[in-house]
Amino acid sequence: MDRRNFLKVVAGATVIAVNPSLIRGNLYAADGALYQTYEKAQLVDAAGKPIKASALAKEVTYIFNYPYASTPCMLINLPQPTDKEVTLKSDSGETYVWKSGVGKERTIVSYVAICTHQMTHPTPNDSFIGYVPKAKKTMAYDKSGIIVCSSHLSAFDAGAGAKVLGGAATQPLASVVLEVAADDTIWAIGVLGQDKFHDYFKEFRPELKEFYGGPAEAKKLVSISAKTVKLTEYSKEIIQY
Amino acid sequence: MNISRRDLFKFAGISVAAAAVSGCTAATGAAPGAQNATSKMLGKHQVVIIGGGWGGLTVAKELKKIDPNFDVAIIEKNDSFMSCPFSNCNLGGIKGVSLSTLTYDYSQAVEKNGYGMLTAVVTGIDRENKVVYTSKGGVGYDILVLAPGIDYNYKGQFPTWDAAKIAKARRVAPAALVPGGEHVALDRMVKNMEEGDVVITVPAGKYRCPPAPFERASMIANYMKNEGLKGKVIILNETAEVAKGAAFKETWKDLYAGVVEHQDNCKIVDVDFDKKEITYVQTVFANKDDVEGVKTTKTLKYGIFNFIPHNMSNPVIEMAGVATTPDGFKKVKMATSPEKPVSFATATDANVFAVGDVVGHAIPPSGQSAIWSGKECAKEIAHKLHGKSYSVASALPYKSANVCYSMVNGNPEEAIMVNHEFMVQGPVIGSKGSVPKGDEAGNKFRSTGLGKATRDWYKGAMRDLFS
Repeated sequence: MDRRNFLKVVAGATVIAVNPSLIRGNLYAADGALYQTYEKAQLVDAAGKPIKASALAKEVTYIFNYPYASTPCMLINLPQPTDKEVTLKSDSGETYVWKSGVGKERTIVSYVAICTHQMTHPTPNDSFIGYVPKAKKTMAYDKSGIIVCSSHLSAFDAGAGAKVLGGAATQPLASVVLEVAADDTIWAIGVLGQDKFHDYFKEFRPELKEFYGGPAEAKKLVSISAKTVKLTEYSKEIIQY
Repeated sequence: MNISRRDLFKFAGISVAAAAVSGCTAATGAAPGAQNATSKMLGKHQVVIIGGGWGGLTVAKELKKIDPNFDVAIIEKNDSFMSCPFSNCNLGGIKGVSLSTLTYDYSQAVEKNGYGMLTAVVTGIDRENKVVYTSKGGVGYDILVLAPGIDYNYKGQFPTWDAAKIAKARRVAPAALVPGGEHVALDRMVKNMEEGDVVITVPAGKYRCPPAPFERASMIANYMKNEGLKGKVIILNETAEVAKGAAFKETWKDLYAGVVEHQDNCKIVDVDFDKKEITYVQTVFANKDDVEGVKTTKTLKYGIFNFIPHNMSNPVIEMAGVATTPDGFKKVKMATSPEKPVSFATATDANVFAVGDVVGHAIPPSGQSAIWSGKECAKEIAHKLHGKSYSVASALPYKSANVCYSMVNGNPEEAIMVNHEFMVQGPVIGSKGSVPKGDEAGNKFRSTGLGKATRDWYKGAMRDLFS
């Protein structure tokens, strides 16, 4: 990324932060409730090259950390277009609207990979949460093609804003608001829904210290780009039932 | 049951005696002219919950989450919490697990969630006047939630045993399904073990956490293996039922052959706690049409005896005088109607609810079931207090309402699991369980992934209750 592009990204991020209504993505809270913009970050691969929406493998869970250096999010290219205008409800009773997936066929979705039940999330050691491809069975629900947290078998509808389908969770996963640019690059711009970032930082202090060096490093906001890798590369062991 | 004047005096007597023994006296809210601990009113709360276990804590937390203005108080006899789920990992010597892993204080939960907690023993319940009597005084309520857990029915199982023998059984052969001293005692016995066999009994009828005795056998066998102890772990099962049976039996065959020994249809006749000798009758059936079987009386010497007697609803249920099922457990009969086919309200009193082990629903008496029930019960109560209606049936069927892991190996850590779907089943909530093969190839029930999940499950559940 040259200096000029870099500035463009920073400038773009500033505009968005100031005025969320200018977001042209098609995945955001219609009424602004439970919606938080963060610095815009481009999803790049391990080598730093931009990830192209059309190049995403289908039904694979990718992970990138956003909006904080330590908060993992899932990126999934679903086999079919998502639902549109899904009304969701948070634990605190607020309703909000999840617009739809992004990409040419509205198949690309992104959710914060911190389970809304009790914050199970992928770490470099292991992961209990991820997308279960259609061809694989899950214990959590009678159909696959959904997101499952295998700690307490919470099931979330990947194509409908991560609405709860079953298990111990009582509210949807927070979603990451994405934009796909004209050049097919993917950008994260905000978080929709009730995130659990504050509790997460508090609850997992020892782990965050181990993996990120300390609370301050863990709470650094991601800027410019977010490295995006397959879940199988992010965590040593995947536990999925 | 309406409490008569005479019953009230009886409760008062018990309470005064208890106070005298423990040296504690009621401190706050004494009504002027109070004659004794029980006749004094401490105050009144919109919702009073008896029992600060998995179910009770969840009801309280959820109610405050739904409406912070609700006035909710828990009455709990212990001043701290110990978890029964995951406790077998302590007995198994699983790395980093100790009694402190199982122990939580209530302070953080009270501070964070905003409900009240009274540390006191419930001595009587007057439903007519909506008062719970405790060792510290009376507490009024609009809505009462019964989440008292289980008690042991030694007397029903061994009618000839006197109080002294039952007390001895509790001391020297702890059942360790009711957390606290029993778990500490069993832990001490296992950690000090030198020789002899460990015997675990499995009661007939409903009992708390059906896989617990089998997980415990596996974990103690794991501990003995690591310590180089020679004895066996013998399970005397009153029936032939083994929760997660295929998965446990596969594990015992693979890992603990010649160590864990499971015996079907063993009815305990008597125990000589001095000689450390169990007398039991084992019935062997020739085939499934054979209902008589051949009975043989046997005796067995033990080194350690984890004697799990028949379980029953905690006596608080009888104090409440709500209708119960005629079986030995005395489950609370739950309300049912065309509008609300299933409910956590009791059949007897629309203002009295029940969750946890005591419910008359056909769901497993497990920690996560209690959490699920607690959340639904809270929704019912919140709607009622807001003048609205909520039917638990609207949430059913519910996938993965109960997920339960059992650690079966310590090195590597491996576990098995069962997953239950809950559904409306006539007038009660029913459940259907399935036990999956845990490893990727689907060859074995146990896996290291499930071992990790066991730890994660427990940590998550504790966050659910305490933070």
